[in-house]
Amino acid sequence: MERAFTPLECLLPAGNLKFCLLILNQPFNKGHFHCLWSRAALRACADGGANHLYHITEGSQESFLPDYISGDFDSIQPEVKEYYKVKGCELIETMDQDLTDFTKCLQILQKKIEKKGLQGRHKLRVDTGLEGSWCGLIPVGNPCESVTTTGLKWNLTNQVLKFGTLVSTSNTYDNSGTVTIETDKPLLWTMAIKR
Amino acid sequence: KKSIFLLMRTNICLTGNLKFCLLILNQPFNKGHFHCLWSRAALRACADGGANHLYHITEGSQESFLPDYISGDFDSIQPEVKEYYKVKGCELIETMDQDLTDFTKCLQILQKKIEKKGLQVDVIVALGGLGGRFDQTMASVETLFHATNITPSPVIVIQECSLIYLLQPGRHKLRVDTGLEGSWCGLIPVGNPCESVTTTGLKWNLTNQVLKFGTLVSTSNTYDNSGTVTIETDKPLLWTMAIK
Repeated sequence: MERAFTPLECLLPAGNLKFCLLILNQPFNKGHFHCLWSRAALRACADGGANHLYHITEGSQESFLPDYISGDFDSIQPEVKEYYKVKGCELIETMDQDLTDFTKCLQILQKKIEKKGLQGRHKLRVDTGLEGSWCGLIPVGNPCESVTTTGLKWNLTNQVLKFGTLVSTSNTYDNSGTVTIETDKPLLWTMAIKR
Repeated sequence: KKSIFLLMRTNICLTGNLKFCLLILNQPFNKGHFHCLWSRAALRACADGGANHLYHITEGSQESFLPDYISGDFDSIQPEVKEYYKVKGCELIETMDQDLTDFTKCLQILQKKIEKKGLQVDVIVALGGLGGRFDQTMASVETLFHATNITPSPVIVIQECSLIYLLQPGRHKLRVDTGLEGSWCGLIPVGNPCESVTTTGLKWNLTNQVLKFGTLVSTSNTYDNSGTVTIETDKPLLWTMAIK
């Protein structure tokens, strides 16, 4: 079964894409934020992500209320937590120390997606115009015995990707506008976004 | 049993018996780290666009901060920067191999020079390489994997508040009592699962634990008060820690 997906479609101003937004505990780009927030079906913060949301929406926090904030609440500022609580946002405390706040936020999100009925081979469209110059394939966590690609400047054919052998970084695109990747194990795709 | 004294500002600026080489990579880096490291390094090199950062961070006194060599495929170094260092007599070494990163190739050259000069080197420090582009951070990790076959010296990568160091299979003892350790640390099974990891000296220690993406990765860890961390691992495991 081939999965087709355009990674940067969520950043395009027009369109029918249905997506959810998770805000994590790192400073982020205002430009991306407004574009994503307005069109997301569900919006959540993982712990201290709420601090960043609160500050980046200063003066109009009321118009940017997340559906829920989850985490062990060791990063969220007390006044931020209080603000969103008073405004009716769901606060979900998750104490499991073996999983990151991001992971737990994702688990909760999936339950809500299912509740709301909102869900091998990979084909990535990279012709949104927002693609930057570099991309890469990173065998984080496990070697991949056989990776085959098309659409890249340096394609792979049944190649091993493995830390200590070969990792694809500083790759880029040919002019086809599509990248296909076939992998036998989980493989991390990374790409540049134009500012 | 391997022991390493982590390269920190106090060691270099105050006591300074540590013998090390400095590689400057193509990422913006901290001025504080830079000056402290530059002055005491035995050898200093730039990997391609690292020379741009060196040139700009030493603005007004570039002449006092000349690298021993600059290597790479020279697709990142700015022409005026390249010309400046060339005129000043720095060695420019072009390396065209596209399968290896500029960092890896720079390290290969460094090891040759270390051997040629008969230098004793306790550690090789790479500055930059952990920020900005995610693929470049991963490329730095990849170089650490190759480093085992390139040099017997430990290689650490530092940028802003992070340090990474690849632990080879076996037992390791890290002294973490320089006063420059920040609050967090982690053990990351990049590239391969580890079937059995045992630690002491951490807040959340491991005992014959599996570390594997999708199962368990140790992040946001921290220290107990002993000042020493020991790690035993059956496979290569990436140590990462905060620098104050």
